[in-house]
Amino acid sequence: MKKILIANRGEIAVRIIRACREMGLSPISVYSECDRGALHVRYADEAYAIGPSAPRESYLHADALLDVARRSGADAVHPGYGFLAENQEFAAAVRAAGLTFIGPSPEAIALMGSKTAARAAAARAGVPVVPGTGEPLAPDAPDADVARIADEVGYPLLVKAVAGGGGKGMRTVTDRTELIGAVGAARSEARTAFGEAAVYFERQLVRPRHVEVQLLGDEHGTVVPFVERECSIQRRHQKVVEETPSLAVSPALRQAMTSAAAAVARSVGYTNAGTIEFLLDEDGRFYFLEMNTRLQVEHPITEMVTGIDLVRWQIRIARGERLDIDPEAVLAPNGHAIECRIYAEDPDNNFLPSPGRILQLRAPAGPGIRDDSGAGAGLDVPIFYDPMISKLVAWAENRPQALARMRRALDEYLVTGIRTTLPFFSWLLAQPAFIEGRFHTAYLDEELKARNGRPFTEARPEAEEIAAIAAAIHATMTGAAPASATGRWKVQARLDGLRTGARPVRGGSAGGIRL
Amino acid sequence: MQYEVEIEGRVRTVIVTRTGDGFAVRVDDHARIVDAVRIDAHVLSLLVGELWPTHDTGPADRGTDARRRLGPRTSYEVALSRAGSAQLIVSVGATPFTVTLNGRRRAKDVAGPAGAGPQRIVAPMPGKVIRVLVQAGDAVLARQPLVVVEAMKMENELRAARDGTVAAIHVKEGASVDAGAPLIDIT
Repeated sequence: MKKILIANRGEIAVRIIRACREMGLSPISVYSECDRGALHVRYADEAYAIGPSAPRESYLHADALLDVARRSGADAVHPGYGFLAENQEFAAAVRAAGLTFIGPSPEAIALMGSKTAARAAAARAGVPVVPGTGEPLAPDAPDADVARIADEVGYPLLVKAVAGGGGKGMRTVTDRTELIGAVGAARSEARTAFGEAAVYFERQLVRPRHVEVQLLGDEHGTVVPFVERECSIQRRHQKVVEETPSLAVSPALRQAMTSAAAAVARSVGYTNAGTIEFLLDEDGRFYFLEMNTRLQVEHPITEMVTGIDLVRWQIRIARGERLDIDPEAVLAPNGHAIECRIYAEDPDNNFLPSPGRILQLRAPAGPGIRDDSGAGAGLDVPIFYDPMISKLVAWAENRPQALARMRRALDEYLVTGIRTTLPFFSWLLAQPAFIEGRFHTAYLDEELKARNGRPFTEARPEAEEIAAIAAAIHATMTGAAPASATGRWKVQARLDGLRTGARPVRGGSAGGIRL
Repeated sequence: MQYEVEIEGRVRTVIVTRTGDGFAVRVDDHARIVDAVRIDAHVLSLLVGELWPTHDTGPADRGTDARRRLGPRTSYEVALSRAGSAQLIVSVGATPFTVTLNGRRRAKDVAGPAGAGPQRIVAPMPGKVIRVLVQAGDAVLARQPLVVVEAMKMENELRAARDGTVAAIHVKEGASVDAGAPLIDIT
């Protein structure tokens, strides 16, 4: 293996490029129209255009990707996460083209990618699953049948996409009146996101935590589970903060959960990196939720507490190497790590996406800080893709110190030109319930509802005055100045600027200023 | 140099005077000494020193013993970008402000969350209208969801900023909209 085609974009493409570099492999990038200037293009050895910005015409366009693999002489393909990472046809097509797919087999993707088939596989391996329907709802099921099936599962319940992931195609239903609307919405979102509208029901557990187990499996039958990740801090079913280890997991529970996760993976002959997600109830009982047959967004926190480079191991496993990591060591975390997913969203406006040009970006650094980012000053956050701009990770000897580091790093992080979720994280990390670890998967949505849109960005009168001062000084420095009439002032200001070395023009008060 | 600076709906008078190594700045009646350095096309670093206002006896006193009367020098990083002909977006830390310098007074963004009067709900980005949740004539409450626009693979609920009545609906479900396209008017 010499050249790896990275069939992705953004921070994960950069992450994979870094692993390639450290292994002496040549990274090949692909880009859509709007990504020509992106970091993953500039960091790569070679980069190829694969089509227009819409994902369907570029990063989801399997033929275009395979064509680049051929042209560039790549011998392996890393799919990252999202896009085609869990698409068994793509994995099979990569293999059929004589290339190595850096991930599990197409068969494993197909089996575990279907949420209903995966639940059945977990049950066969003796692992409890969240109560719910065994089969997807028929696409043409009459409303009355849907309601009857829902009654059997019991309320509150979740409508989930069979092909789901990342919280898309998922809806909570608290009673019968919301059911049919929620099924319709979940189906439509699932069709858009995954090309498959099938949905099923799961009972909603009372205040569960989301705890997941990272696995690596080699092609020689070894499966190694890692210390758990706690991912209960979610907004609209999307993880926004992850940490490891979980405050809710005792050593005995860790032993039980990681053994169960490994049992499920072994039972389906799973290879490469994958994650088994569990729900953990208030009594310490855990239930199989689903398996992600790919590298997870939140993999860095596991790397921070185990010292294992998961992407490097993905590549080594794909080359046929044997896992030789100490299974005991990766269950014993060194310190504590936490990740915040920084999004180009406006937390003060219902978290609406905030695409646009980044004017200024300075990432935090220093002890225990890792920032996996695909963004930079001068780059646009495109409207076409997930608006995550960075994963900010803090590591320290223990949780309180890790939180202190994260708060410090959030304060250091400077992004202007777009709105980001940085102020939201500063708020969250100051909440007593969060600090004490008293939370569950609905915690954040409940807190946000209680806040009722109260802004996270404090409107400090001082900042307002500083903005006024900065604007006036900027105008003075650039030589643009007020004049008695609009239109004339620009010329006058420029002439004066030339004559006097950008000294301001003195004049009346009715003009305009331009940058 | 005197500027009328409109910020967050308020007009402030800012007087900037070059001094030897910086600027003396007065916002309304609050005097400060500012050291300003341009970092790049968009970014200024400001060190803002408070002047103790009670002992300020006038310009004659200012030059002689300014240093002793300086309070703490607070560091700010400020990013400026142009937004329209006379408007700047000025970000102090993470907080962006829309600033108009000496310009004609602009009506505040009608979709803004604060203030009173009619609201126009506009598409925040290009996308597709998935659902319209209200009808013309409906009474709506602040933060009530009005319309769902799908963009960046997510469905986004756009909400009313204040209580009001739906005056007009400009789009149909299924329509593709550009950024800034009017969706719903509320009076």
